Amino acid sequence: MTDTLSRAATPAARRVLAGAALTLLIAVTGCTGADDRDAGGADTATPVAVTVAGPLCDQLPAGDEPGNPASLVSQPADQALQWIPVLTTFEAAVRATGLAAELAGTNGVTILAPTDDAFAAKFSRTNLDELLLHDTDKLRGLLRDHVVTGSLPVAELVAAGTVTTLAGTSLTVTGSGPSARVDDRADTVCADYQVSNARIHVINHVLGTLPTTASDEDDHHS
Amino acid sequence: MFSTLLAAVLAATAMPAQAFGQTATVAQMQAEPNQVQDVTVVQGDGYATLAWTHVDGATDYQIERTPIAEDGTATGNAVIVGVWRPNRQINNDKPTFADAGFAPGNRFQWRVRARFGTTAQPYSTAVSGATNAHWGNLSTPGQNLRTQWEDTLGAQYTSDVNEYAYTAAIDELSERVRVVEIGRTINNRPINMFVIGYPTPPATPEAVAATNPLAVNCNVHGNEPGDREACFIMARQLAFTDDAATLDRLSKTTVLIVPTINGDGRAANSRGNSTGQDLNRDYSLIRQPETQAFVEMVRDYRPIASYDGHEYGNTNTGDLPMLSPRHQNVAQGIFDESQNMIEGHMYTQGAKDGWWACPYGCTGASVGLGEETILRNTLGLKNTVNSLLELRSSGGPTRPDEGNTANNRRRKTYSALWTFTQFFAYHSANASNITTARAEAIKFQSANTGRIVFRGSRPIPAHPAPHPGDTPPPLDAPGQDQILNQPPCAYKLTEAQYNGARTDGPTGRQTTVAQRLAAHGWKVIKVADGYLVPLSQPERGLVPLLLDGQAAEGLVDGERIAPTLTGTHNGPLTVSGVACLAGATVRGPIKVQPGATLIVNGSSINGPVDASGAAGFVLTASTVQGPVNATGVRGPVVLVGNKISGPVNVVNNTGVAPLVAGNTVNGPLSCTGNTHAPVNLEVANTVSGPKSSQCARV
Repeated sequence: MTDTLSRAATPAARRVLAGAALTLLIAVTGCTGADDRDAGGADTATPVAVTVAGPLCDQLPAGDEPGNPASLVSQPADQALQWIPVLTTFEAAVRATGLAAELAGTNGVTILAPTDDAFAAKFSRTNLDELLLHDTDKLRGLLRDHVVTGSLPVAELVAAGTVTTLAGTSLTVTGSGPSARVDDRADTVCADYQVSNARIHVINHVLGTLPTTASDEDDHHS
Repeated sequence: MFSTLLAAVLAATAMPAQAFGQTATVAQMQAEPNQVQDVTVVQGDGYATLAWTHVDGATDYQIERTPIAEDGTATGNAVIVGVWRPNRQINNDKPTFADAGFAPGNRFQWRVRARFGTTAQPYSTAVSGATNAHWGNLSTPGQNLRTQWEDTLGAQYTSDVNEYAYTAAIDELSERVRVVEIGRTINNRPINMFVIGYPTPPATPEAVAATNPLAVNCNVHGNEPGDREACFIMARQLAFTDDAATLDRLSKTTVLIVPTINGDGRAANSRGNSTGQDLNRDYSLIRQPETQAFVEMVRDYRPIASYDGHEYGNTNTGDLPMLSPRHQNVAQGIFDESQNMIEGHMYTQGAKDGWWACPYGCTGASVGLGEETILRNTLGLKNTVNSLLELRSSGGPTRPDEGNTANNRRRKTYSALWTFTQFFAYHSANASNITTARAEAIKFQSANTGRIVFRGSRPIPAHPAPHPGDTPPPLDAPGQDQILNQPPCAYKLTEAQYNGARTDGPTGRQTTVAQRLAAHGWKVIKVADGYLVPLSQPERGLVPLLLDGQAAEGLVDGERIAPTLTGTHNGPLTVSGVACLAGATVRGPIKVQPGATLIVNGSSINGPVDASGAAGFVLTASTVQGPVNATGVRGPVVLVGNKISGPVNVVNNTGVAPLVAGNTVNGPLSCTGNTHAPVNLEVANTVSGPKSSQCARV
């Protein structure tokens, strides 16, 4: 936890907003439709077109909003994950397990990132706290079930038909067009985020072999 | 009725959005049948309140929002952002809806239409306006601060590091704010508190307590961060606003905002703290440093009212589920005033501003009871008017434009900001009611009368239809095995129980019972064979929940000490060892031998009471004809709610600060030479004679 404390006080948000002020010419053609306004946000001078696809993309930062897909292209995967607001659990899991280094490997990776809703449907709150706070080895194993070597667009995943995760498990990938079904249980719901050395595909189901622990008990908040 | 509404919602979501690019300018038109009329929009911080005239026969209403440019042309699709249902507010004849989730500062037009069952009626004419930008003038120092959450339009929550920077900036730039570190988390993150007053906050906790402060606890569960962001914004507003009404309020009280007691859990996005402990199951037991810090803050700053922020998973419920301290040991007046805060103030204001406050549970959701270890109950047992606050996690059928995204996050946070702002308004308008309820509660608890309930809640009756819907929270009445009809006088703990090492709590950070009772601020009397904790003290309702063997989640199995005298005693009474008088009558003087302990509740004494040199002296809810002398007492001195005809001396006591509260003294009150000056917890004494030196203010 101390690494969090010692992190530079300059927020990533400010850096990116400063970048936005440069009004870089970046054409964004996201799933929000024909939005041809200039959109800034990436601290790179290279114009990049990023097309993310899937039903959930409508719910995520787009256009020139902070965290839009184009603004993430030069960010390391662990940083980019912090900008996708449906991935707070996955992002916290990456930090808890110290997986960032593995995600930043030079050969690139593909990250199949389950949404917060997917985690909530999979694990009870107590179980999730256990994983995040205590069983981080087990959690690391789970995350590695969601990472594939090579930075692969969803179309290439589909073309491959079967991919192998860092954990060594084999995942079938089927589908047509921009979306895909992974391991016969998870669908990409916003695919093809391009970040530094990685692709991020948001999926709607947790993969791996851990038992499902979510139950109605989880309604009891406060 | 309900299934009809659901069907109507399904029909609505299938409807196509309005044509992109249509102009927003609508000419004055002849009203069509059943067309909504008189739509108004009032901008708040992060929300817009729509109001309109009720259409006879309408079963619900849909609220449509369209982004527009300065010239009124649409820049995006029209979207149904809200569904108004009859259970939303207490006065259905004046419908309102707080639209939220949009990015602050953007311009929109709104239209409203009624539905009869599933049949949509014509839309109202459109009303347009610019929403309020993030609060604060960008050219005014302090006002121009922004959180990470605001800067990212909700894509990111404010990190710990950015929290500290923002907090420090407010502290530095505002005379009104002092940031106090009330403790540290297990991983050594500071737990900060904003102390806010005008023109400056009082200098010490005791001075703050004298202003009857209010407190907001913003983030107990690390994965429920919506309230915390509202707290940051509220702190900035209070620190830098020019609003005269707010400054007037701040000149009369002190606002305490604890943004993050669970900084480790927030950073890990976990519900619990770094050990996995749910902190909202630990406020009475205080096994963890985070809850201990909060409880010590309550002891020292003594907020008279409080809100505790959470988020809630059920989609089909109100915007703002709330719940009062309903544990049956909470004093009736504290429960009643908490209910008044929720149902009297929040329901009424919510109906004006369009927010849907309702009792936790609202429409049929199962709720966690949390019992006495949960903050709302622990605070109620500390005589603080308070409520739990939930922010409904998902938009659900009444806010169909929310995924798990920035829209959703903004609605949650700005609904919390509305609640906390209203909480401050409630506190200011009701300060005398709250302090009266608190004073009565302190006197009631100190009297140690009535049964003890180890676990069990007061019922929350359903609010008259149609609000809040169909289901109040579960009854949760105590079973017979959870009731103790004859309260003991005190609990006695052995040396091992009191000072012995504990195994509960984080490794290496376990605290003793002694440390925890001290954190609660309880009076403990050292006796020959252990430690006595009298029930007759302000937090009486909480004492047995921790110290009785029958407690549902107790701390230690203390020995019940029964009263030693409940009838009539004629003639002088000399106390050696421990004497406990409950409902007794003594006709004659009482003399406490040096080193002995006297506890008197609800008794009548015709004669002087002399406790010189006692180990401890507790006198509550009693009538004394004669002088009362507490001199040189080594342990606690507690004088609460008595009628004393004669001089009262509180002199040269060497223990914790004597508590002298709510007494009527027909004679002088002399306080000198005490190691700690006597306090009254803001419960005034009525003294006919002079109040000397250390008691001048009590």
